Amino acid sequence: MKAKFLILLILLGSGFLQAQDPDAVIFPKPTPTRLAVADFTPKTSSTPDTQTALNVFNQVLLDDLKFSAFFELPSKSFYPLKPLRTPQDVIFENWQVPTLDIDFLAFGSVQVDATVTVVEAYVYDVKTRQQVIGKRYTIGDTTLIRRVAHEFADQVVYELSAGASQGVAKSRIAFSSLKGDSKEIWVMDYDGANGRQISFNGGINKFPEWSADNQMLVYVAKLPTVNRWQLFLHEVDGRPTEIEVTSSYVSSPAFARDGRVAFSSRTQSSREADIFIRPAGGGPARNITNARGIDTSPSWSPTGAQIAFISDRTGGPQVWVMDADGSNLRQLVTEGGHCDSPDWSPDGRFVLYSWQAPRQWKHDIYLAEVATGKLFQLTSGFGTNESPHWSPDGRHIAFQSTRTGTKQIFIMNADGRNLKQVTTYGINESPAWAPYVEANRLGQ
Amino acid sequence: MKRSLYALLVLLIAVTLMIGAGCKKKSTPIARAPVASTDEPSGPPPAVASPTVELNAAPTTIKRGEESKLSWKSTNADSIVIDNGVGNVATQGTVTVAPLESTTFTVTASNSGGQAKASARITVVRDEGPVEIIETDVQALQKAIDEGLVNPVYFAYDSAELSAEAKEILEENSKWFRRYPGARIIVEGHCDERGSEEYNLALGDRRSQSARDYLIQLGIPGDRLEGISYGEERPFVQGSNESAWSKNRRAHFVVR
Repeated sequence: MKAKFLILLILLGSGFLQAQDPDAVIFPKPTPTRLAVADFTPKTSSTPDTQTALNVFNQVLLDDLKFSAFFELPSKSFYPLKPLRTPQDVIFENWQVPTLDIDFLAFGSVQVDATVTVVEAYVYDVKTRQQVIGKRYTIGDTTLIRRVAHEFADQVVYELSAGASQGVAKSRIAFSSLKGDSKEIWVMDYDGANGRQISFNGGINKFPEWSADNQMLVYVAKLPTVNRWQLFLHEVDGRPTEIEVTSSYVSSPAFARDGRVAFSSRTQSSREADIFIRPAGGGPARNITNARGIDTSPSWSPTGAQIAFISDRTGGPQVWVMDADGSNLRQLVTEGGHCDSPDWSPDGRFVLYSWQAPRQWKHDIYLAEVATGKLFQLTSGFGTNESPHWSPDGRHIAFQSTRTGTKQIFIMNADGRNLKQVTTYGINESPAWAPYVEANRLGQ
Repeated sequence: MKRSLYALLVLLIAVTLMIGAGCKKKSTPIARAPVASTDEPSGPPPAVASPTVELNAAPTTIKRGEESKLSWKSTNADSIVIDNGVGNVATQGTVTVAPLESTTFTVTASNSGGQAKASARITVVRDEGPVEIIETDVQALQKAIDEGLVNPVYFAYDSAELSAEAKEILEENSKWFRRYPGARIIVEGHCDERGSEEYNLALGDRRSQSARDYLIQLGIPGDRLEGISYGEERPFVQGSNESAWSKNRRAHFVVR
């Protein structure tokens, strides 16, 4: 208690920790939506295959909707016992009792037959008794059942948030993973399922980032037989292509939505890292910083007009912001210590970063409001927490943490709650959550 | 008595061989009746004349893989043998040899009256092309590194400045680099686990650069020195304490 008080005093004394609840700033929602997710049931017969598919579907759907951070989900122990299969089975009064007081009810059925699996999924407004969503998904392969649960979860989030979010259940995360001797680029579902290796060069592959269309990854690699870092563009379903740079050092690349790539490198003659921008169509990259000191970790603002980055030109590495031509430079975070990995939020309001206090060795995740410079601490406690990255809807954050021993990837709400570990095997770092693909936006 | 006689015999043969080895171009017959006759010091005079033999090599110096020609002449010999795998030969002739190492060929001519020997040495020199010299320097520098004669330099936290001690180490290292000009050197920059991934990759690059720059100042050509950063990817020592960290903040040297 005493120790806690002391820490609070120190933080307040340094003017660092703001009194605001980040929840109030990031999620201004007056009354939370109360959602019940009844277990889906077999449509015609409870075969073993149907039961297996149902177990997966119900778990994935519930996990997705819980993690979405849009709903209050009352405990299933309060639910009426009668299984729901079709809308005719619903007795709305049973969901309006005071212990439940449900706004919306999700339910449906899964049936696996010899050649086809059918999922029927509904959401009803309990008060108006109107159908909000009625979907029928048909798949030929039950291994896609997770995908259907994700699709439906995103549909629920989209409809019940009135379009505020498209959901993240279908989204993917690229990351760097050390398994055995080599550190390769991998891609997985946001919840850690369906991991797939992308690079196979046997070297050290780091700092993946997605293109706006989700077709391409950009990352850097130190191959076993090549004595320099190389910058690679890699089609997720294809092969890597090297982008030439001017020295043996290249790091932390990032795609703008229009295809420009910002990265940290240096010229042969310069001694320190600068920020370079490669034009969208290719061609020689342009150096846009030339101050003394290290400039690295560029992150584009959503419009591509500005770049947040790390520079140690005034001492320790701090978060700076500039226009994409290098002008209008200003320091965003001025707390001393050691900052890195800035990531600009999809709505442009915030920059996430990791911060290591002076004379400390562990980092925590922080949020800076770009307009005001207000800072919010999102992680604390055991282990070092680094490399934060926004989810595509800006309501969640992926990062790496050593809180369970080795470096692993975690996801959480943007207010620091709802923490979930999504990798366990190997050493996993630098998560990059794929952005939304504009053309595929739901409801358009 | 017997023992000292035997020693005398060994000595005589050794002297004979040394004389033989000493004659490179002009080989001299080295048949010596007294040597042959030591077997029967008190016997009657030989019934037949002692053999004589001459052996020449041309050229006497070759590169590895090249050939040389041995030629010999003899008198009064019943059998002629050349060692080192040549075997029985005619009383005179030539044979082509291609020894891999420097070799002394000895021909032995004998008949019932005794033996005569002659020798010719072929010296094999290593190919003096650039490839082999680089290999030698690479190996020699690797050995110097393995033996701790070339050392890493260490840095303070978040710094790429060379301390006085680091400069001394680099000066010592530069002597070895200068001594083996055929070896290229990778200057690796490393960081401890504090700081952050991206910044440390840049800091490791800066450490590599400052060590490399100082070596260039000391006269090592820049094209022999390749810089690379490993950031915090390759710690020397595992552990989250200053003793581990201080060993991991380094620039160290690897033969290309």
